[in-house]
Amino acid sequence: MIVTYNWLKEFVDFDYAPQELCDRLTMVGLEVDALEELGGGLDSVIVARLDAVEAHPDADRLTVCQVNNGSEVVQVVCGATNHKAGDLIALAQPGSVLPGDFKIKKSKIRGQVSQGMLCSEKELALAEDSPGIMILPADLQLGRPVFEALGLKDYQIEIGLTPNRPDCLSVVGVAREVAAMCGKQLTLPAAQFAEAAEQISDRTSVSIEAAEYCPRYAARMIQGVKIGPSPDWLVRRLEAVGMRSINNVVDVTNYVMQELGHPLHAFDFKLLHEGRIVVKCAQPGDKFTTLDNQQHNMVAEDLMICDGQRPVAMAGIMGGLNSEVQADTETILLEAAYFKPTAIRRSSKRHGLHTESSHRFERGADIDMIPVALERAASLIAELGQGSILAGIIDNYPKTLATPLLTLDVNKAQALLDIPADCDIIQTLLESIGLQVDAGKTTSTLQVRVPSFRPDLEREVDLIEEIARLYGYDQIPTTMPTGTVDAPQPPPRQQIAKKLRNAMVENGFSEALNYSFVAPESLAKLGLAGDDPRSVQVKLLNPLSEDQSVMRTSLVPSLLETVSRNLAYRSRDLRLFELRPVVLPQADAKGSREELCLTAVICGRRQSEGWAQSADNVDFYDLKGLVEGLFSALNIDQIVYDQEATEAYLHPGKSCRVVKGGKVLGCFGEVHPQVLDVFDIDQPLFLLELDVEQLIAGAGEISRFKPLSRFPDVMRDSALLLDETVSAGQVTEIINRTKVKYLENAVLFDLYTGKGIPDGKKSLAVRVRYRDQEKTLTEEEVSKSHNKLIRSLCHQLGAEIR
Amino acid sequence: MKERLQQLQEEALAALQQAADLKSLQDVRVQILGKKGALTEVMKGMRALSVEERPVVGSLVNTLKDRLETTFVVRQAELKKQTIATKLASEKIDVTLPGRRATAGSKHPITLVTEDVVDIFTRLGFSVEEGPEIEQDFYNFEALNIPKDHPARDMQDTFYISDDLVLRTHTSPVQVRSMLKKKPPVRVIAPGTVYRRDSDLTHSPMFHQIEGFLVDDKVTFGDLKGVLTHFLKEFFGEGLGVRFRPSFFPFTEPSAEVDIACVICGGKGCRVCSGTGWLEILGCGMIDPAVFESVDYDPATYSGFAFGMGLERIAMLRYGVNDLRLFFENDLRFLKQFNV
Repeated sequence: MIVTYNWLKEFVDFDYAPQELCDRLTMVGLEVDALEELGGGLDSVIVARLDAVEAHPDADRLTVCQVNNGSEVVQVVCGATNHKAGDLIALAQPGSVLPGDFKIKKSKIRGQVSQGMLCSEKELALAEDSPGIMILPADLQLGRPVFEALGLKDYQIEIGLTPNRPDCLSVVGVAREVAAMCGKQLTLPAAQFAEAAEQISDRTSVSIEAAEYCPRYAARMIQGVKIGPSPDWLVRRLEAVGMRSINNVVDVTNYVMQELGHPLHAFDFKLLHEGRIVVKCAQPGDKFTTLDNQQHNMVAEDLMICDGQRPVAMAGIMGGLNSEVQADTETILLEAAYFKPTAIRRSSKRHGLHTESSHRFERGADIDMIPVALERAASLIAELGQGSILAGIIDNYPKTLATPLLTLDVNKAQALLDIPADCDIIQTLLESIGLQVDAGKTTSTLQVRVPSFRPDLEREVDLIEEIARLYGYDQIPTTMPTGTVDAPQPPPRQQIAKKLRNAMVENGFSEALNYSFVAPESLAKLGLAGDDPRSVQVKLLNPLSEDQSVMRTSLVPSLLETVSRNLAYRSRDLRLFELRPVVLPQADAKGSREELCLTAVICGRRQSEGWAQSADNVDFYDLKGLVEGLFSALNIDQIVYDQEATEAYLHPGKSCRVVKGGKVLGCFGEVHPQVLDVFDIDQPLFLLELDVEQLIAGAGEISRFKPLSRFPDVMRDSALLLDETVSAGQVTEIINRTKVKYLENAVLFDLYTGKGIPDGKKSLAVRVRYRDQEKTLTEEEVSKSHNKLIRSLCHQLGAEIR
Repeated sequence: MKERLQQLQEEALAALQQAADLKSLQDVRVQILGKKGALTEVMKGMRALSVEERPVVGSLVNTLKDRLETTFVVRQAELKKQTIATKLASEKIDVTLPGRRATAGSKHPITLVTEDVVDIFTRLGFSVEEGPEIEQDFYNFEALNIPKDHPARDMQDTFYISDDLVLRTHTSPVQVRSMLKKKPPVRVIAPGTVYRRDSDLTHSPMFHQIEGFLVDDKVTFGDLKGVLTHFLKEFFGEGLGVRFRPSFFPFTEPSAEVDIACVICGGKGCRVCSGTGWLEILGCGMIDPAVFESVDYDPATYSGFAFGMGLERIAMLRYGVNDLRLFFENDLRFLKQFNV
């Protein structure tokens, strides 16, 4: 909503400077988004008189003018033709900067000195077009800034209104708030006019057939109107609040809507069939063309203004092309009505037509403003169009809408707001914005009659908000709550997520955050089977684009895109993770599950680039180490790394599933080269996916302390010669399973194939540490244990000792 | 004999003093004090001495032996010190070469900000709750006093999954879910991802909010001001200017917007605060009785306040990030700047 400083002044005599006014409006809840000076920076464009106008000696189309600016006479060369000696004009002095960043300098034009410029209205942004320079009224004082002298100096105030305040969708509404804050009276604009003898009721009629949508419809008629351009003051006012001038009649309806907040519509009466108005719902299937030349298919819930035969306006939204005021219009039927907010809102949404009018009706217009707005507009149309107003008004208002009478418990307001305001103070506050307040049934209650312009005030709490607002939020004390509350442990999901995130960061990973919606085909890029459950995605009905139209069922495609983008930026050593839910549709297709997933990728160097670091690249085992560390941090043990049936987008030989107790917790490995190709990734990449929901279920208890032995350890190294097909996992499993006395731990510390090892064999070296809690072990005790272990390995895996 | 000892003493002392390194020092020691050393030779000659002379010479030999041993130890210590000094002098490294660092990881700035906000409220007894991102119309709108066909729905452009399912447009539905689960007193903070159908330089279709609310008997608007002022000063620093001004949200009444003095210009007015000196930082208000009714809290017994803020905005102000899109581009050069 835009208002201007001067326009507000017409209705309330306040003393605030523009900036102070804006600050105060913001603090009562009418947030000022912008304050702009109209004609700002044009103080050096002044009123001056042409003392002499002569032809330019060296140019046919130019004149050389002697210009009296009140203190001296200067010479200006001018290209216009509509000026003569004696005229008052707008002189832009050197140094002025006109709209459009047009700088005025002293110059020479064809040999003649020119000390400034004589301005047109267009050059001062006072009109869209102008034929010549601006000739000012003769009674202005020389030397005064033109905008000031013409009374055009004004300030545009743009207010970001919240949807609960339709009353402030007008200059008068904002002025009411200003009056309340400065304790002055609000004066409404007057409408005085003479009526013609002829009665409106003899010429037309209004019948309402849809009273549930239209409780009141009033009309005035003005005849003998001459349609033409609006006077300058009206054009400028409309432009100042962001509206374009159309013609004198339409401009008046817009002006009154801005001023009083009530939308009006003017029909060309001769175009109304049977010369009457019927308010009713549309015939389904009707086509209707609005003023903007758009055709709409109407439905039965659309409220229409019709003449005797057909619709002529979409009620409260926009008029029809078939009854528009045109150059030859002579008789105006002026409508002022009230339409139910929900009806207007539904139609406006349905037809995608949001107008100044629908905006006001759907937020709640003031039903009592109808006659006021109608009289004001009729008098202005008659004045500007030299028409005459027919006697009387049609006001079809069968059932008066009652405004609510609310009871306010003053104690409650005091308690909730923590302010000491008593009945008298509260009564004064509420009356200042036009509420009618009387004593209530008890000494601590008030009866409040809500005026029709405040449809947002429906309950006691709405009044409490008004009290808080008018009392001043800054006057309310700042306290801390006194109660106590149990703050329970965060649920396991949050705890695990936090642990995982911290562990990832400690391991050098950076957290990424991708959009939850992706392109439907993003999964196909992974080469998933057609029947993969992840290919059923939750779709948005109204996505911003096809690329963001389905909810992610996997974090993998987004993270691969992230990798690709970073490689393009020449970041090549990447450790990235994302910890976010994926959305999996439920079988019944109605609901969906949101399951937390951890996805991580690594590629490039193992250690950061440097003079003292190895330049080796990461491989599968870097990721495996990470996985082992994560499980250890979560106290999850007995993990099986299963190389069968991993994901299609992973390298079949260099990937595995992570399984615990038959449940798949995730998978990891090198990304399939074909997938890398699709994502334009030109180096080996390793990817981990964990189903965090499964981790929550499997997370272990806090691990218990194991007592330390005070006796020395004994280590034994053995190199096992094994078939290549025997996995390290089998070796560690047998070490764990064989009950060997004193065994503390075993480490696989070397893997070797090549020279000295027969084909099809490999050497795996194991270092076993023995120790006892109670005594120092003897050589024989250690040998006995170690031999047992080696026998077991040889027996079960066909191992030989090298 | 005595002369021999005297001569030996002089030679030995000179040799010990002259030994240039530990090895030659040790050699000298062996030459004199070793099994075949000069002193041992002299001692062997003692057998030829008379019974009277023996103790006298014996005492002289022992004195000499002690003296030589002491000299040896002193000289050895000296030489060791010299050797270490020489070694150290030759081992100087360039300390300005960079060290070996483990690769630093980083949390996303939104995570960092979330953790910090949560931390402050947790200390005030708030516990963290979460809710689904695909939300029913009831929780996202209806229960929050935003009926269908209400202009307040225009405040938030919504992504729809179906007539009844939306991508939540704010974290406020967690309020409703939490209140349905637990009776007052409650203090809840709910961070989360939210969605609005809006995408330009200053709007991302996916962003993050944090919602909080407190319900008890006798909660006042003053408490709302107190808790939020406390939070803002903890987060942005003591001495921060804070103002509350009237606003509108369907689920709170009275409602307020909270502004902080612009952290860029300190309140003087700049481009970031559009010259006003103030930055809008969060929305809040006393919970509307209509919300209490939809979760079966008695508005006559309880009152409470709720608040919500955008985490991207807070992160932008805290870290001076000037482009919203950076949060979702996941450029490692951006992410790495937030390592912890």
